[in-house]
Amino acid sequence: MKYVLSFNLNGLPVDTLVKATDTLLDVLREKLNVVSPKRGCDNGDCGACTVLVNGEPVRACLTIGLTVAGKNVQTVEGLQQDGKLHPLQRAFHEHYAAQCGFCTPGMLIAAKALLDKNPKPTREQIVEGISGNLCRCGTYVEVVEAIQAVAAGKYKE
Amino acid sequence: MKDVLYFAPTELTEALKLLAQYGEKATILAGGTDLVPRINYYELKPEVLVYIGNLGLDYIEQSDGKLVIGAATPTAKIAASPLVAEKAAALAEAARLSASPAIRTAGTIGGNLANASPAADLATPLIALGATVVLVSAKGEREVAVEEFFKGPGETVLQPGELIKEVRVPIKKGKSVFLKLGRRKAMTLSVVNVAVYVEMEKGQRCVDARVALGAMAPVPLRCKKAEGVLQGCVLPMSALEGAEFLDKARIEKAAELAIAESSPIDDQRATAWYRRKAGKVLVARALAAAAGVAI
Amino acid sequence: MAEYVGQPVLRYDGIGHVTARTRYVDDIQLPGMLYIKVLTSPVHKGIIRHLDTSAAERMPGVAGVITAKDVPGKNAYGLIPDQPVFTPEHIRYKGERIAAVAAVDEDTAMEALEKIKLDIEEQEPVFDPFKAMEPGAPLVRPEGNVWEFNSGKTRKIRFGDVEKGFAEADVIVEGTYTTATNDHAPMEPQVSVAYIDETDRLAIYTVSQDLYFHLGMLTAIFNLPMNKIRYIGGTVGGGFGSKNDIHCDHVAGLMALKIRKPVKYRHTRREETAYTTKRGPWTFYFKDGVKKDGRIIARYVKTVHDTGGYAGMGPYVVDKNSILVAGPYAIPNVWVDGICVFTNKPPCSSMRGFGIINGTAADQLQTARVAEAIGKDPWEVHFINAWREGDLGATQFKVEAAGLIEAMKRAAELAGIELPAHLKAMSSRGR
Repeated sequence: MKYVLSFNLNGLPVDTLVKATDTLLDVLREKLNVVSPKRGCDNGDCGACTVLVNGEPVRACLTIGLTVAGKNVQTVEGLQQDGKLHPLQRAFHEHYAAQCGFCTPGMLIAAKALLDKNPKPTREQIVEGISGNLCRCGTYVEVVEAIQAVAAGKYKE
Repeated sequence: MKDVLYFAPTELTEALKLLAQYGEKATILAGGTDLVPRINYYELKPEVLVYIGNLGLDYIEQSDGKLVIGAATPTAKIAASPLVAEKAAALAEAARLSASPAIRTAGTIGGNLANASPAADLATPLIALGATVVLVSAKGEREVAVEEFFKGPGETVLQPGELIKEVRVPIKKGKSVFLKLGRRKAMTLSVVNVAVYVEMEKGQRCVDARVALGAMAPVPLRCKKAEGVLQGCVLPMSALEGAEFLDKARIEKAAELAIAESSPIDDQRATAWYRRKAGKVLVARALAAAAGVAI
Repeated sequence: MAEYVGQPVLRYDGIGHVTARTRYVDDIQLPGMLYIKVLTSPVHKGIIRHLDTSAAERMPGVAGVITAKDVPGKNAYGLIPDQPVFTPEHIRYKGERIAAVAAVDEDTAMEALEKIKLDIEEQEPVFDPFKAMEPGAPLVRPEGNVWEFNSGKTRKIRFGDVEKGFAEADVIVEGTYTTATNDHAPMEPQVSVAYIDETDRLAIYTVSQDLYFHLGMLTAIFNLPMNKIRYIGGTVGGGFGSKNDIHCDHVAGLMALKIRKPVKYRHTRREETAYTTKRGPWTFYFKDGVKKDGRIIARYVKTVHDTGGYAGMGPYVVDKNSILVAGPYAIPNVWVDGICVFTNKPPCSSMRGFGIINGTAADQLQTARVAEAIGKDPWEVHFINAWREGDLGATQFKVEAAGLIEAMKRAAELAGIELPAHLKAMSSRGR
């Protein structure tokens, strides 16, 4: 039994055939080849698959795909506008906030979710904002600095 | 693999009809944060998924002297609600401290209860606040106290065909406090958590006390013996008459009794020994904060 | 040069990372690709009495099943090639590979695994390395539970005369220290994609940290010359030593060779945590002969490293540990015995420092205990004993470009610790 799942992905409508148990991560990665959300644990622990659903950060691996029917899903593929890097992308790059890069898409989305709601977060609020995103290389300090730089207006759109 | 059916009803009656039709085969899906990992790892092979996220059960309201929270309300919404912060501080704090941002936006209050983890963060404040859950099925509706909702790890009084509709928290005059000890600050289950509610008459005599412990027994636990030694006690400087003084010693006695009522286990997060030690400190701190006693 | 030296240089792969254009192995999807799941041992120790994969092979959606019988070359790999890709008979740890299924998706492959008939005669396992060394302990390995170095059952470091040193010492300080098993837990779990390419070569996309080393092992397993394997690496989502050992490439490669279709084999996080190589647990016993002035004049160290069911890099880890465990000190008399023990646990291998970190942790605790025993500050003991230019290490290498004292001074400064003047006056250039 397959179901047709229709939703908006980075501003464009998509339709795809899915199983009831396919997660949003399965749908994005395996069906649509949108691979920025990474499969790190399938358990909700690592945060590498964080995406925005109707502007709220969620774990794609914990979200049954069919539940996003009709909703807006945003991934790192949709961060760039008119070919220009998003301020967070520039800041992450220039602050060396990505080492192996595997946690980076999830970190970027968590950071975007935070700044969309709270454009001038304190350092503590930034740490809280990325508290669900693990990085084994240990780039946390650089990630926080990159987000601080964006919040301070150093990377205008 | 057998085909799994998926339904996303938009009316409660429609959902209850589906649950009645599929009975034990139906698995209720809300935020999915506890359920989906089990599906991903083949521990749970559902036959029918009934998604309740479109039923309009996402609300926080005040009515009839109660705070009424829809079962599908995300933890993040509870954590951010000024109404919850004002009327049920311990619940707001528990919501704020649970998991991490992207889990809180998905995970729901109903799911946290239905999953019936002994460490469920939202269960202890609800018990301390004397909350009830409203359970609905095609046959009707019943209201159960949260402290009577749990039967064991992963087990509740929910019957096949039944759904948590909402949680009702009585709005009371006293003060509630939630404290959590985890292995780290975020993304962690409680090693032990404590919620207390204390009402002080004229700010001096304890007229109501409730103590709940999480991750200290097979179910979130209400500690009635601990509550009993606090009833009627007055602050040492009080002009009111009371059975005993509500002081440091009394609070420590209550904490000791609470721990005596618990039955913690050794697991990957902590030993039972440590849970008892830390739990006692947490109960004392929470009671002291709620009663306004320096310890 | 001036435009580079002393200047921060942006990462060449940074834009790829922040735009998610960096392609990791699990991001690769090939047309018609099949998914592998592996049947692993449910018991810690035992003997496979019966294995029947026919029902799984017949299942719709299954493209192929492989076992030890499908290894065309050597069914063994590792730095010390002692671990089978699929165990033909003996099970040495829970999670050891027995068979693999390729199917249209992972759900189907999982279902096929349940159809494999497996009969294991369970045996008593041993988990504690000290129990494993006792006479009559269950044998993890037929040749015995203790690894044979060239020098015998211990890795030996001998320098000076420790007994003489103990006799001349004012105080003897003993201590036993243990460190636990660690998992590397890289963000990217193990994964491999394999297919037969247009030139009939076996192509494998790998997460290997160690391409040429692993390529050599794979040629032996596949019985193929090196020019018949295209081993494509480069992007690793964190490894920390876990990708120094093969975990998926051999399975994916064997499956692709057998069914001649593209396949992907990836670990779930739980498989990653339960079955892959670990940083092994250690026990360290130290006995130091110390002079009241703070000089350590004799150090005896006996270490026991638990390497699990197979050697992995365990003996090499013990090598490196043994060489460095006595610490960066000018101790004239050193005796080290390093022991590497097999137990019925997942194989232990490399992780960030190959045993040196564990040795340093133990050495630092012991040295602090030495300081306590003679009533001195640990900084003082470190400074007094630290290698100076031209000192001889326990393996008789001459210390060159010594800088430990300067490094410790800087560390104290950063930590806000005011060192006494006589320590500040010390230098690595002389005693």
